[in-house]
Amino acid sequence: MISIDGVTYSYGEGISALDGVDLEIGDSELLAIVGENGAGKTTLVKHLNGLLKPQRGRVIVEGIDTRETTVATLAKKVGLVFQNPDHMLFAETVEKELSFALVNFGLPPEEIAKRVEWALIEFRLSNYRDRSPFTLSGGEKKRVSLASVLCYDPQIIVLDEPTTGQDNLQKTRLASTLAKLNRQGKTVIVVTHDIEFVADFIPRVVVMSKGKVIADGPTEEILVREDVMDASSILPPQLAELSWKIGLSTPSINTEMIVEEIRQILRCDQK
Amino acid sequence: MKVFKAFEYRRGATILHRIDPRSKLVYLILFTSLVVYFTNPIALLIIFLSFLPMVYLGKISARWSQSLRGSLFFIVFIFIFNFAPTAYYSGSLLDAAVSAIAMSLRFLNLISVFSIFFLTTSPEDLTQSMVQLKIPYDYALTFNMAMRFVPTLSREAQYIMDAQRSRGLEMEKGNFISRIRNYVPVLIPLIISSFRRAELVADAMESRAFGASKKRTSLYVLKMGRGDFLFISAALGSALVLFTVNLLL
Repeated sequence: MISIDGVTYSYGEGISALDGVDLEIGDSELLAIVGENGAGKTTLVKHLNGLLKPQRGRVIVEGIDTRETTVATLAKKVGLVFQNPDHMLFAETVEKELSFALVNFGLPPEEIAKRVEWALIEFRLSNYRDRSPFTLSGGEKKRVSLASVLCYDPQIIVLDEPTTGQDNLQKTRLASTLAKLNRQGKTVIVVTHDIEFVADFIPRVVVMSKGKVIADGPTEEILVREDVMDASSILPPQLAELSWKIGLSTPSINTEMIVEEIRQILRCDQK
Repeated sequence: MKVFKAFEYRRGATILHRIDPRSKLVYLILFTSLVVYFTNPIALLIIFLSFLPMVYLGKISARWSQSLRGSLFFIVFIFIFNFAPTAYYSGSLLDAAVSAIAMSLRFLNLISVFSIFFLTTSPEDLTQSMVQLKIPYDYALTFNMAMRFVPTLSREAQYIMDAQRSRGLEMEKGNFISRIRNYVPVLIPLIISSFRRAELVADAMESRAFGASKKRTSLYVLKMGRGDFLFISAALGSALVLFTVNLLL
């Protein structure tokens, strides 16, 4: 359970990155935060593990006020994976990279070995176990960075732009990993520009613009609202756009539903 | 990291911003020499006070004071490491305090004078003035780029620290040795990404035909005006006064 309550944050000089954000995220939710560049998405998620503390308002994570604890304590509950894997990778081998957080949290060696093994398999990295992370491709590095956080099994998982540089196959795999973790009861928060990824895999979406939450709700309802899509300069899902262009009475992001609607229109025309 | 930010140039329209970089260079060299030469804490304090009108003229008080606050840690460090050995060897606490204060003030003065210079001088103008001072363009550009990448590097260091702290790295944990070791997960990505960036910049420069023509011409040429001569005279005059004051003290 995360509750964000009137949070304001500014990096100084009058630019406010967050301008009174209220957001409730329940246990084992799977949600996406979308919005234009500079909307405040990354600033917001940095509040979830205490890297940033709210200047006004408060953030409560699992009953703990983030202002009253350390990043190291919160990081155990909230696993935050940043956009650029190059900001994270430093170890000699992928295996050591994956055990970094586990060692920091002081887990026993057997447990570390077990979790590293799980992460290597889950993210298809077993072949790279002894390779230096710097010799991997962009997409592989991205997976190492995801694995290096998910391996310590945080209750809340926050991913900043996890799909950049991933091909469709890897995206689908990522989606199924996230769905699996979500089924196991984890809260999964994805910050992204990849609206099609959201439309296909994420049930709840929060839209941010200029430091504010401008829409929040079920993905199939939010992503078909033209006003919201315009206000946040998000490229709408192609299916939503198609629905608007055809003038469907109930715009949708679901292929089957749109096909069904079009069929009905065609049937009406024939009569 | 705030220390770097305090040297970042911001566009401004004050007299100090408009003065030719070469005149400011004269000021910088004169005052740096004085600061290094002086040993009397009172003389050093007078120099420090002489920066206040400059800071006011350039409207840079916020960033300048930020640079001072950012260097507080080093000043405490410098003070202790000058005080302790002097006190131990000379046995006089007063002597030790005087020399430690002088060293701290000297550092504070150096930070201030460089901060005044870089806060009010645009990197492009600085490169141009170096070229006009007959420094080869390659070196001038290297210097410019080194300056240009300081804020980028400090931002990058912040990103890396955020990422590693999110994986449970505690920078402040442990004794002196393990604290140094805590920096490894930050320094390695920082160094590697710097090399990568250097390569990218080199590629970008080559694709824009860097070095294709031997003789470069400039769109803008810096010219010294009456204000510059006034500024240089004022700098020379006040340096002379300070020098005399130091002799009398």
